[in-house]
Order: sequence, then structure tokens, then C-alpha cells
Amino acid sequence: MSFPITINGTLHQVDDSLSGTKLLDYLHEVTNLTGTKLCCGIGICRACTVSVRKAGNDYAEPMIACSTPLNLLSGAVITTIEGVAEGDRLSAIQQAFLDNFAFQCGYCAPGFIMASEVFLSWLQTAQVSEAELDGLIENAIGDHICRCTGYIRYYEALRDVAVKTLEAKP
Amino acid sequence: MRSQRLTRRSFLQGSAGIVAISILPVPGLAQARQDNTAGIATQRIDGRAKVTGQKVFARDFSAADMGWSGSEWYALYARAITTSRVFSGMSLSLLPPEIAPAKVIYGDDLSSSQRAPLLTGKRDLHLDTRSHFDRPDSYNYDLIVQRGNAADYLGQAVALMLFDSRESYLAAKSAMQFRDSDFQSYGAEAEPKPPVIFSPETLFVRYDHDATSFSYAQESDADYKTNAPFFQSRITDYLESHPDLIQHSFAADMQAMDPMFMEPESGLVWIDGLGNTLRLVLGTQSPDGDIKDIVSMYDSPDAPLHLENVELTSCYPGGGFGGRDSSPFSLMLALCAPYSEGNPVRLSYDRFEQFRVGLKRHACTLSGMVAVKPDQKIMVNQMDFTFDGGGRRNLSPYVAQLAALCSSGSYDIPMANVHAEAVHSTNISGGSQRGFGGPQAYFAIETALDEVASQQGWDPVDFRLKNVVSEGDRTVSGGEINQSLRLEEMLETARAHPVWAERAKIKAAYAAKGQTYGTGVAMSMQAYGTSGDGVVASVTINEAGEVSVASDAVDMGNGSATTLATVVGEVLGRNASSIEMGGYSLFGETGLHTASGGNWDDPMWTAKGVGSSSACLTGLHQVHVVQQAAKALFLTTFLPQAQNAWELDSLKMEQTKWVDGFLTYLPGGKMPLAQSDLAEWNFANMGVSSMLAHGFYQGTWTSGEYDLFGKTRLEIDGLAFTSSLGGGYTVIPRENTIPPQGNPRDGRYVWAPAVNLIGLVVDKTTGLVQVENAVTVLNAGKIHVEPLVSGQAQGGLAMAIGYTLFEDMPPGMSGPANGEWNLNTYHVPRYGDVPLNNGYAEGKRNQELVLLPDNGEASGRGIAEAVMVSIAPAISNALKDACGQRFTSLPITAEKIREGLAQ
Repeated sequence: MSFPITINGTLHQVDDSLSGTKLLDYLHEVTNLTGTKLCCGIGICRACTVSVRKAGNDYAEPMIACSTPLNLLSGAVITTIEGVAEGDRLSAIQQAFLDNFAFQCGYCAPGFIMASEVFLSWLQTAQVSEAELDGLIENAIGDHICRCTGYIRYYEALRDVAVKTLEAKP
Repeated sequence: MRSQRLTRRSFLQGSAGIVAISILPVPGLAQARQDNTAGIATQRIDGRAKVTGQKVFARDFSAADMGWSGSEWYALYARAITTSRVFSGMSLSLLPPEIAPAKVIYGDDLSSSQRAPLLTGKRDLHLDTRSHFDRPDSYNYDLIVQRGNAADYLGQAVALMLFDSRESYLAAKSAMQFRDSDFQSYGAEAEPKPPVIFSPETLFVRYDHDATSFSYAQESDADYKTNAPFFQSRITDYLESHPDLIQHSFAADMQAMDPMFMEPESGLVWIDGLGNTLRLVLGTQSPDGDIKDIVSMYDSPDAPLHLENVELTSCYPGGGFGGRDSSPFSLMLALCAPYSEGNPVRLSYDRFEQFRVGLKRHACTLSGMVAVKPDQKIMVNQMDFTFDGGGRRNLSPYVAQLAALCSSGSYDIPMANVHAEAVHSTNISGGSQRGFGGPQAYFAIETALDEVASQQGWDPVDFRLKNVVSEGDRTVSGGEINQSLRLEEMLETARAHPVWAERAKIKAAYAAKGQTYGTGVAMSMQAYGTSGDGVVASVTINEAGEVSVASDAVDMGNGSATTLATVVGEVLGRNASSIEMGGYSLFGETGLHTASGGNWDDPMWTAKGVGSSSACLTGLHQVHVVQQAAKALFLTTFLPQAQNAWELDSLKMEQTKWVDGFLTYLPGGKMPLAQSDLAEWNFANMGVSSMLAHGFYQGTWTSGEYDLFGKTRLEIDGLAFTSSLGGGYTVIPRENTIPPQGNPRDGRYVWAPAVNLIGLVVDKTTGLVQVENAVTVLNAGKIHVEPLVSGQAQGGLAMAIGYTLFEDMPPGMSGPANGEWNLNTYHVPRYGDVPLNNGYAEGKRNQELVLLPDNGEASGRGIAEAVMVSIAPAISNALKDACGQRFTSLPITAEKIREGLAQ
């Protein structure tokens, strides 16, 4: 028996024998998608964050891949860092992180990007004001650990894109 | 299938023959988008690959990705949990047979060269007395403990287990994790081992008083050793005969700290038996040293195989901070290779393992005394440092050395008596770590001086100003300072900043909200580089004018790849669109040698090939050699083509300037020439396509004359070229060599000073501290890529906050040596711990980097360490200002604050 999981638009039928496998291990070992990173492996650093829309939900949420077994993701639609850009075209937050020199070694960057993507997607329809952004940004990425940057450029880049997202709303 | 990648080869002479070394770049790494603004970086050259999740880190790659044949095996080391009892062996009966390891390798199964390879000498401060191997038997510890022996330190490997499937590896690891005592057998009590001090110890005695001048740098080795005790007693006499001196004694202690780089160490190894080739995938800061040490492992008659080739794919490390410099990980990986029946092996630490065995910043205890005259002139500095080196010697004695060198801080102190040592212990090994002894030293001197100022009622900035060292003065080792420091300017800049100038007002504002606020200042003068640095780079153009760079530097996140790709832009009219890092074997193509006993009269000799890659080597050293290579390329390609196109009898580089990708003639009257046209003409005329340069810096750069269509002096000691016709590099002989002018005994030659202001609040009930304001005034020299400089400052602040307030790591089995530590136990700074407003605004939590105005300095400075080394004392000084209590035990935890305030 198997269950379906969609990863970056590709449907995978996951054998039941792998139901206890952590999503991160499945991404690395089965799909060879290594962009999602292992850092602490116990769900604290959030480097392994991916975007997950669970079955029955119409919204995506950030999820840590190192600690989530596949059996919780039956029917889920998952986006990893490899699935963000559209061909050659980077997403707004990928471009902003590049333009703002937001990361250094880059190992934590995929996790920050995925959490930011989920946040920005939510922001497009949420009723929030610019004054609330700092608190919301802290909720979105404040638990992510980075050892190189001191966080400030991640914050500035995300805030810049968030402001533009608000401004672009009708 | 592995794509074709340009390989660079060099050769090592082993006792069994020559071993060919190849360094390969990361396979399939996409090149940067072409940036048309020469000399300006608009993004990191490696950035696009990283934001799209491409494989760039060693952990990303599998044997299949590398095109290696065979099935991947998995390595797992069992780690010693005691040093007081003899290790008997593994007890694996609790593992079901289907998940038992395919092989168990003990230390006594290994050849002597594998078990305890002779590691290359790690030289610093003694370049003139180096020898190739420098490790006495007393600390020649086994990589894997032999059965029947006791471990020398906690976490030392006691067995290597190899699994032939991922499933068995994961299952066994899960079964064994946190249950070491169930799977390891120990026997009788072991004889205690004698204490070991890692050689060399450091003693700096300086006496510059009463028209007498004595110091380490100014004397011969023999005279210094003979006379140092005499001058130590003269310092004692001075102290006893001047009762008016304010003598302040102090002590401090710092815990060990984990670099906590985000990518736990990981790698692949495979012995391709066909050619006795050892293939490795690694992210390391020291590819040169690692390769030499690995070759040494297989360089004995009883080695399991004879190596003919070593091929390293040098990946971008996911952070380093010194923790990947000379890390034993590369040896543990290479050790796996012969035992996997011809299959590739993966060794990947998880975070528990990384905490357990990864190199640490040393714990340190120190004591000292400063003596100050009533007119605020500091006269004597006495300090004694003991660094806990942990198990392996690694770079520990050199960390202690640099701490001693930094002990007088940024001040001209005429008398000093400073001792520093690194000792073996059973704790986790210490190594190179951001600051390399500087954090401990600056904490000592800057808190001591602050305490004197506080007790005497002196203004802390004025006190520092009265004592700052200047160009022309000497360091504590007696080394000459031949570099502009601008310390007075920096202190005045800090003094004028609102965080300092308005500190009373800010304090009152916080008090009105019921909060306790304090402000502290501290200063540092962190040296960058070592006692002699060798650097190599090549710059290449193609027919379209596209530029590529190769360098021995490793980019661990500090941005050296971006910087080196950018700095060629001002020379060649275009930034590099691709760059290969970690290319230590480039040196082998220069034709230069470093044979012992050589000297500068030999045009093919240099004092040092390449060394470990430190983030602080980019700003000056790496940039210089890349730009010299680019200059040589310009002189032999674009310049003669331009001269021809402009129909000039002669043309000098200084008569030209790049403007928006066009070479212009400064005297005027000539059409600008497109860089791409110049490149095309060069290739049509079968011109030069690449220049490979090596430089050696020791106070100044070695320079030589090179025949580049006319004799040209360049500040490099090796040059070679390839032509557009292809083929390898052809050496251009060095003539009329001017050796470096630095005195090897000076130890360091260049500095990146910093002044830090910290404003913080402390909750006197909970002891919790929050940094509210952080200002760094930095002398960074010429700024190559500003976002990379400010990024280092921002990251350095966060790391320093962690070091000072949070990151705590007890020794022994209470700490990470027990294998149970992770980020739930070890707290690194989070987003909420750092001020996020970039600049200064009242009412916000601010951090600001103030770079000194450009004064025409030609070179950048290595600032990666400078930006953090005096933040810890600034925090302690701010706490003193806030609550009147001096804290000198790091980390200054909430508990320590509560205890201190309760006294």
C-alpha cells in the first residue's frame, strides 16, 4: 500500500514501509532534493523548513522536515527550496535575499526562504497594516537560527518585500 | 555522470613516492550572473546557487552525484566516555544481526601511520625555526584508541563501525544513541597520565624604560631566553619602587564555545582501486593541510595501500569560524576508505556528534595586573593565560600565543610580562576559532582598564586616549607597528556617537520606564594574517572577455568568493563571472618550492606556499594577489592591444582607465575600446589567456621583476602564464627579488582596530540582559564590497552576544562530550537577541557600523575577527555601568548576575 505526496509539483506514491521516514530523509535519499538542510535535526533551528499544504487545507504552512514523518503528510502538497523559482525567474524573496546580501554561508537560507514564502503568501490576503509588520515578521522567521549574519539583513529584505506586498494589494 | 571539470594538480613527495594531488571545484555549480558594473558587487557570486537550493555543500553530495561506482557505505564512530579506564572493545550483541555493522575497526587494527599520522607543522610566530613535523610522542594521540589503552580525551574515537546499507546504519545509530555505556566495554582503572603542556609556550617580556629596550622581537632567540628573567625582575623592582602606582589585579575565566556552524561536518571518501586514487568530498578551511595529513596516513610501509593520487572536491563550507581549520574530521573520513570493500563511504555528523567532537573555542582562565601612574599612563601589564586545549594539540599553542600578543590591547605599555600556555586535558579539543585568542585577551585588558577608570573616577575614553599605541610604536612582543591605526580618531568618533555622548540621558529615559540601563566601551586591535602568509591565485580571460578567478581561499560564508571576483573588475574592466575556491594545488603550478634551507636568492623559492583559509585573509592578502595576477594579465593582453589600436608608440597602464566596460585613454583623443574587443583581438593574436600569481607577505610583500613585454616590478614572488593556444602554465622567472621587510619575530604586521559601544538593559530580578544599542567603529581600510563588511560586523555582534551572555559548555561528561547536547541545551543568539534597527534612532534597538572615512588607504583589512573581539568586554563594562557590579566569568548568565547582585 502507498499514499500520495506531491513535492514541487511531482506526485510521489510513498510506500507504507516509509511512513515513519522523516520528510527530510525522504527528500535527500529518495528524491535527491538536498536543498532542504539538516542542522540540528530536532526541530529547533528551522533550517529544514518547507512549505506544506496539508490535505483539505487551502493554505500552506511552514513545516520542519527533520522531525515530520511522512505518514502525517498523506495528500499534502509540499514545496521545497528547489520548487520556488520558476525556471530562471527567482521569487521576490529569493531576489531580495540576494540583493540585500541577506545570507553568508547560505546553509540556513532555504529555511528562511520557505518560511518567508509562506508568510508572504498569507500576507497577500491578510488584513494587516504596515505597523504590524515587525511583529508578524518576527513570528514568521524569529525562531530561525543563523550563525553567520546576525539576522538583520534577513529582516530588512523580508520587510522590504512585505511592504511592497501590502502596497500591491488592491 | 560527473561533468568534466578543470583539474589542477600538484605533487607531494611521500616516502613511498610521489602522490599527485588534484583539487576539483564543486560539480555543476552555476556561474554568477554577469555583473556589468566593474568593481561593484550587486550580489554574492555563489548566491544564486544557494537561494535555489543547488548542491554546494559537502553534505549535499552522494557518491552517485560524484559518479563514483559502488554502493555507499556509512561510517559511525563510537566515542570514549571515560579516560580513567582501559577500553576493552565494543559490545554489539544488543544490536540485531541485520543492523550490525559490516565492519568494526579498532585502533589496534590500523597501521601506525593511520592510527597516529604525523601531522604537518602548524607554524606561527616562529616561521624562521620551522620544521616539517613537530609533534612529540607525548601528545601523539591515536585517532582511534587501541584496545587495552585508556582514551586520552573524552570523545576520542574507540571504534569505527562501517555499515553497508543506510537502513542498517540508521537503525544501529538510533539504537546506540545516548546509550554508549551499553555498547562499550571498559576494564581496569588506567594509570593517570602526566600533565602535558602543548608546545610552544609563550612568554613575552618587554622592558622599554630608562633608556633600555628589551623584547622578544628585538633580541635573538638565545639572548631573549637568557635575559628575559633579568627583565622580569626589573619589572618587579619597578613595581616595588613606585608606591604611587595604581596596581589593579584581576582574574577572568571563559568557557569553551562551539562555533555552531550550521552545516555539521560531512564528507565522502572512496578509494578508486584502479589507480590507487583516494577521492574525497569535503568542506574544509584547510585543504592544504588536510591533504598533506591524509597523504601522511598512507605513507608508511605498513599502510593498507599505496596512494598514487588524491583528488579533493572542495565544497563551500556551511560556516566555519575556524572550526573547520585543521579539523580532525578530514582524517576520520580518510581513515574509512580502505575498509569498505571498494565502496564509497559517507561520514556525516549529526548535531549531537558535532557538539561532541567538533573543535571548540578554548576555555581559558587568566589572571593579571596592570599598573597605572596617577597621570593615567599605563606602565605595566602582567598576565598569565591558561587555555584548555582539550585532547588534541591542533592549533592551541598558537591561539595562546596570539592571546599573549593581544594582551596589551591597543595600548603602548612599556613594561610587560605575559605568559600563555595551552594544556592538554580530557575535554573536547580546542582549535582555531574566530578571534584566535583575541577574545580572551581583549576581555582581560579592556575590563581591567575599565575597572581602573571606574575606581579612579577617570573618563574611560580619555584614559584610553592617553595610552593608545601609534604607528612607529611597538607591540607587547616588541614588534614594530608600521601601519596607520587611527585609534584616536576612532575613540573620538565613538565618544561623539549619541550612544556614548547621550548615555546619561538614555539611562534616565530607561530609568523612567523602570529599567536599568548601562553603557560600556571597549577597544581592540586584532591582527589579521599570521607571521608569514603565502597566497596563490589565477586570473583568466576568454575570447569574449569573460573573466574567471581561481584562488586557494575558501569561502565559508565570509564572501571571499564575491570579493575576489569583484576586485578584478577595476583592473580588467569586468568582474569575474566564475570563481573556483579552495584551489590549494594552484601553488604546485607556479613552479615555486619551499624547500627547507632555501632563501630569496633562489628565484624559485618562497617561504610559504599556502596556508589555512581564514576569513581575515581576504581584505588584504587574497585581494592583493588576485589583483597582481589581474594586473599582469592586463599588461600582457589589453594594454598591448590598446596601444596597437590607438597607434601609440608606448602606453602605460596609468594612462588608461575603465569606464563602463570601455578602456579610455586619459590624455584624451582616442576612441574608447570595448573590453570584449580587446579580448577578441588578444585571442586573434594568440595572446596570453591566464596569469597565475603567488605572493608572500611578512610585513611587506616580496616583490620581483617580471618580463611582461618589458621589465615590470610586481609585489608577488611567483608568476606563470598560459596562452590562448592552450597548454599548462609557463613560469616567468622572478628577477631582482626584494624580500619581505618584516622581522619574523614581530609575529604580526597588520591590524584591524575596532571600538565597540554597548548599551544594554539588565533586569536586576531575573538577571536577564538585553542589548539595546551596539556601535562598532571599524578601521577596515579600503572597502571592497561594503555589504560583506557590514554583514561580518552584524554577524560578529550576534556571535559575541552569544559568547558573552548565553553560550555555556561545561567540561567533562556534564557537557557535550556526553553526546547528548544539541540546540535545546546550547543556546545561540536568536533574532530577538540582537538589535535590528540598522543605524541609530531614539526609542529603537539599534546597531550601527561606523566605517572610518576613506583616507586613501590602498588595501583592505581583514576584519572578520576584529568586529567581535572587544564586544564581550564592552558588555561587561556596560553591566558595570548599569548595576555597579563587575562580571568577569563568561558567559555572564542570568544566574551569575543574580548571584552577583545578591552579594
